[in-house]
Amino acid sequence: MCHRVGQQPWLAGRPTINTEGGQLRIGDRFRLASRPVPSHLVAGPGALLDIGDDVSIGAGAAIAAFEQVRIGNGTRLGPYVIIMDTNFHGAPGDQSVQHDTRPVTIGDGCRIGSRVTITRGGSIGDGAEILAGSVVSSAIPGGVCAGGARARIIGKAGDIASRWDSAAASLPDLLMKTLGLESPPDLNDEPVPTEIWSEDRMRNLLGALEEGLDVSVSDAAVREARTFADLAVAIQSVLSARQQNERKL
Amino acid sequence: MSRQGRIAHWWATLKAGHVWVTSRLGARLWLRSCDRVGRNTRTFWRPNIDNRGRIVIGASVRLNSNWAPLEIATGPQGLIEIGDNVFINYGSMISAHGHVRIGSNVMIGNYCIVADTETPGLGDPPGGLRVEPRAIDIGDGAWLAARVTVLPGARIGAGAVIAAGSVVAGDIPAGAVAGGIPARLLRAG
Repeated sequence: MCHRVGQQPWLAGRPTINTEGGQLRIGDRFRLASRPVPSHLVAGPGALLDIGDDVSIGAGAAIAAFEQVRIGNGTRLGPYVIIMDTNFHGAPGDQSVQHDTRPVTIGDGCRIGSRVTITRGGSIGDGAEILAGSVVSSAIPGGVCAGGARARIIGKAGDIASRWDSAAASLPDLLMKTLGLESPPDLNDEPVPTEIWSEDRMRNLLGALEEGLDVSVSDAAVREARTFADLAVAIQSVLSARQQNERKL
Repeated sequence: MSRQGRIAHWWATLKAGHVWVTSRLGARLWLRSCDRVGRNTRTFWRPNIDNRGRIVIGASVRLNSNWAPLEIATGPQGLIEIGDNVFINYGSMISAHGHVRIGSNVMIGNYCIVADTETPGLGDPPGGLRVEPRAIDIGDGAWLAARVTVLPGARIGAGAVIAAGSVVAGDIPAGAVAGGIPARLLRAG
């Protein structure tokens, strides 16, 4: 039923492949697990589901394209991932559902954790890492590590000491509350507005870090940070140093 | 007791007897590829056992594979140790390329993932870089509710309770209640 399957595909168990008039292209050395729970790949009428080379997908995955879903070369997806370019789709063959689609693109060499949900309009840049249980429905740039329901950038890919570090994950929320921002910031190259550092806010932030995460960061280190990414790195370096000390003990 | 009641009673007894026999015989049959299986261990329906390393299962363990099979898989260097009196519910995935230890009296809910690599069930990526497994340890008497994901390198202390749907990374202290994505302490032990 696939329109193209590359060399050496590898299956464990029996997946459901459903191309209802759409195109399904699969690259070389594709790996798909369907045990203990079957995975399914669906390409709806006129849709394109394009999977690159060296892609592996865990068990229980549900990938449905009703317009276009692309997965880049060398990307690895954990078990129970859901990827679809709609918000909702009916049972196979159900014509009554109006599909409101927006293409989904996943770059090369990404690592998508267990039970990640990627819905319409989600796009993930090359080499990004999405942590287990996250929901992505917007653009995540390449090379970052993102997590959460509405996934936010919380560091660089492979940078964070423990892959799903609760401290790193709570940083965006903590920054929003203490700095009086409108929404939790992505910890990316967006510059930190310098006018933000009033005495009050600085005290709030350092206090919250002490209390919530039990780290003491110096006033100077915070002021030096030019971007939200710098700020996150300054805090995370203190955290990871402490974690390493605890491991040694 | 009415006639219908008597029939229902006998039917239930018969069914219980059937389960009693098949669960014990099933364990002999379905777990034959494991390296050691303790006394009185039972399987309900057929689990997927893919043993390319070493799987050691304790006594009085109950493995439920009704509705969705349970998967227990080891890679060539993998070791899975399951203690005594453990219960694992259906659809869960236990996978080791390194070491996964599940203590005694642990309960694991349905559709849990306990895997020491990030893409379990797929072996090593062909030609690609090998992903290093990080050991998982689940202490005695811990309780994992439904759909819990235990990430590589996680350590769950004895008697800890993990709420449904949580993603566990890092250490959970003994006796604590933890939950969320990622799991945070809801109550200390």
